Amino acid sequence: MEEGPTQLVASKNAESGASETFYAGAVDRIRRFMIALSLVSVATVAWRLDLRHALGFALGCAIAYLNFHWLKRGVSGLADRITKAGKPQSGAGIVVRFLLRYVLMALAAYVILTVSPASLNGLFAGLFLPVGAIACEAAYEAYAALIRRV
Amino acid sequence: MRKLSYLFLILSAFCFAVPAFAQGGEAGVTNWVAITAGFSMAIASAGCGIAQAKATAAAAEGLARNPAARPGIQLALILGLALIESLALYTLVIIFAKVK
Repeated sequence: MEEGPTQLVASKNAESGASETFYAGAVDRIRRFMIALSLVSVATVAWRLDLRHALGFALGCAIAYLNFHWLKRGVSGLADRITKAGKPQSGAGIVVRFLLRYVLMALAAYVILTVSPASLNGLFAGLFLPVGAIACEAAYEAYAALIRRV
Repeated sequence: MRKLSYLFLILSAFCFAVPAFAQGGEAGVTNWVAITAGFSMAIASAGCGIAQAKATAAAAEGLARNPAARPGIQLALILGLALIESLALYTLVIIFAKVK
């Protein structure tokens, strides 16, 4: 039985709604990927190397996660301000929060460097957690597009 | 004005000539790794800053023109900023690996 033009438009709308919902959840998926990757990587580093490197790596992962969370909050605040939606936030507050991330990262790197220079490599490796999570998300989206046709 | 520019030119030449007055031996050896590390971090930071500024400006413009497209623009901006930041981090890691 052939589909009529109305049914075709309805099915296309449903498909586009499903894909919009799928892509809207990308940031939450990336955060989940970050948690999963950090758990697996910290365990691997502790097993293959030593506890000092694993602690540095865990600290790097925590900073990267916090950094990504604050980045998301900063961008949401900026978007709220531009579209005049949600609770109005001060522009200075958004900028200060955005810049505070770098201060936190520099502080953590300095503390690690003074306390235990050996774990600095782990810290730097942990800071790349968002890149790994985004790569996982890209692979998942490619899988969803090719296999599940989302 | 021209005299002032000549003065600055001569002073800058003296700045570069300072190692020439140094005594010989290890103390006079220029640490090129540290100098290039500083320059490379500065260039990387400047590039990433410009890229983040352009991305944010474009996203703000897009949001102001079409607020309905907010989810897509916001996602692209978050991912873009995170990846641009990681480029500066790559440079920092390479510098640490080379300077250490």
